[in-house]
Amino acid sequence: MDKILLAASILFFLGAFVYVLMALRHSHERTPMANLILMGIGFALQCGVLHFRGQMHGRCPITSFAEVLIFVSWSMVMLYFLLGRTFRLSLLGLFTSPVVVLMQAGALISLLSQPDLPKPVETLDVWLEVHASISLLAYGAFALACVAGVMYLVQDRLLKTHDLNALFYNLPPIRYLVKAIGRVLGIGLLLLTVGIVSAFLMANTPSAWHLGLSFSVWIGYAVLLGLYLGRRLGPKQLAVGAALAFILPLVTLMAIRA
Amino acid sequence: MSLVCLGLNHKTAPVEVRERVAFAPSYLAEAMAEICASGLIEETVILSTCNRVEVYAASQQGDGKGKAENELRELLDYFMRHFELEPEHEKEFYKLADENAARHLFQVSSGLDSMVLGETEIFGQVKKAYSDAQLAGATKRVLNKLFQQAFTVGKMVRSSTHITRGSTSVGSVAVDLAEKIFGDLSGCRVMVVGAGDMSRRVGKSLKSRGAKSVIVSNRSYDKAEALAAEMEGEAVRFDAWETVIHDVDIIISSTSAPHVLIDAKMIEDAMGKRRRRSLFLIDIAVPRDIAPEVNDIDNVYLYDIDHLETIADDARKQRKRQIAACEKLIDEYIDDKGIPALEAPPAEHVQKSVSDDGANPGSKAVTQS
Repeated sequence: MDKILLAASILFFLGAFVYVLMALRHSHERTPMANLILMGIGFALQCGVLHFRGQMHGRCPITSFAEVLIFVSWSMVMLYFLLGRTFRLSLLGLFTSPVVVLMQAGALISLLSQPDLPKPVETLDVWLEVHASISLLAYGAFALACVAGVMYLVQDRLLKTHDLNALFYNLPPIRYLVKAIGRVLGIGLLLLTVGIVSAFLMANTPSAWHLGLSFSVWIGYAVLLGLYLGRRLGPKQLAVGAALAFILPLVTLMAIRA
Repeated sequence: MSLVCLGLNHKTAPVEVRERVAFAPSYLAEAMAEICASGLIEETVILSTCNRVEVYAASQQGDGKGKAENELRELLDYFMRHFELEPEHEKEFYKLADENAARHLFQVSSGLDSMVLGETEIFGQVKKAYSDAQLAGATKRVLNKLFQQAFTVGKMVRSSTHITRGSTSVGSVAVDLAEKIFGDLSGCRVMVVGAGDMSRRVGKSLKSRGAKSVIVSNRSYDKAEALAAEMEGEAVRFDAWETVIHDVDIIISSTSAPHVLIDAKMIEDAMGKRRRRSLFLIDIAVPRDIAPEVNDIDNVYLYDIDHLETIADDARKQRKRQIAACEKLIDEYIDDKGIPALEAPPAEHVQKSVSDDGANPGSKAVTQS
């Protein structure tokens, strides 16, 4: 059932992406409501997938790389909905949905290629659950900051080259994008702080390697945001930083899962 | 039943004629009453803007080509008589009947017949004309249905095509770009260097869209003060404008200086002082006031007059390319929905209309207003 829901969710996000592309190509100046509805259904299906997997394991469904991908995708979409009008109606969906499709497609392939072996836990370490889930939510926020950074760079490029095409008219003003990047990075850092602190409360403290990786992600983003807030970085540099810095959480995820 | 439209616009008549036949807003109700007074016409709406004067008229009594011709003749006579036009002006009027009249109104409300193709102001003007006619009691079934349909078509055409996309004047392109950089302009400070007509227009456009403040600098301080007063801004002496450059978000330059006034070094320094916040430079001077290399600096966006003209021109061309799509939409709409205003009303409706309003219902209604 969870795999069917996941496949359906992928289709809805793919539909949302294609729909906005078509709208851009044809006529509409704004992201149509239909895109929001498609994204909303995709999100509901994601919730269903996570619910089934959670029931299967008897814990937060982040026990495999596939589940981590689904969880990060889910947190990206949730933040996309939470971040307000400026984002939703201004093509964040166009940039977010293909990332979500790719991540979830990877997760689906992984789930289909491996037999499900539910491993209900005998004793549940609440702090482990908090640490893992909150850290992944933070990574979702960083992924969204990466997407907003790419949007900024695209809009900056269009403005610099005086190329005012359909995409230009649909992208939000660059000042709004910078504000959005700052806001999402702030949320991500806050969540990651909670995630790291909760690691110290776990029954079995994670390895130094694991903690070191988490700290490096935290420090990387804290430096980026600190430099921007301290006016040492300009808007474009912040956007480049947000786009590139997402390599850190990606590497961390892969290293920890390995 | 008949529906006619008689009018002239920027395509058929020069401004000297259009200004002669323009209806003063205070006179509209009386004019509609006069048009309906003969009894031949029962309903009327007058659309009078700077680019067009059109009268839409309808009657539920009678039918046939002869009736429409008579109504158009009567409307034309009214114009010739009332505005004391010479016979040679007759050819400047277009005369449309039934579906052609309806289609024309749909095109007008969609901005397809406007001087600036796709402009949106006309939609509000058509709404106002209809509302004025309603208030004067000059509309009934035919024009009520027709205008409601025109509003639907106008909205549909605008939302389903690119006909309104882009800006078609240098001033509005500059404002659009500023909004794509800063979003809301309410926190933006603008500096105008050189008090020429073009910079005045762009500056005023930005101010009207909410720019926080305007600083004006010009070689002639008196001119700077005058323009600053006009824009509720502040004048700065020409030898001092460089000292405030870091404190503004948008710079409009249009001096007649024969050399570059703002170079990359100057902007680099200003960007350092403004902590790399975005800066938008509009150079509308020829020869250019701002060195093109300035555009290479991060977070700085430079547009010269050619860029702005090209963008405006592209938008005009793009809108022209949209005409066929808009016309197709209107055709499909008419094929699909028809024009209910031109369909015969139920017999009881006609009878009620006659018995309520007598032989000249339109006239009575207008008189009552």
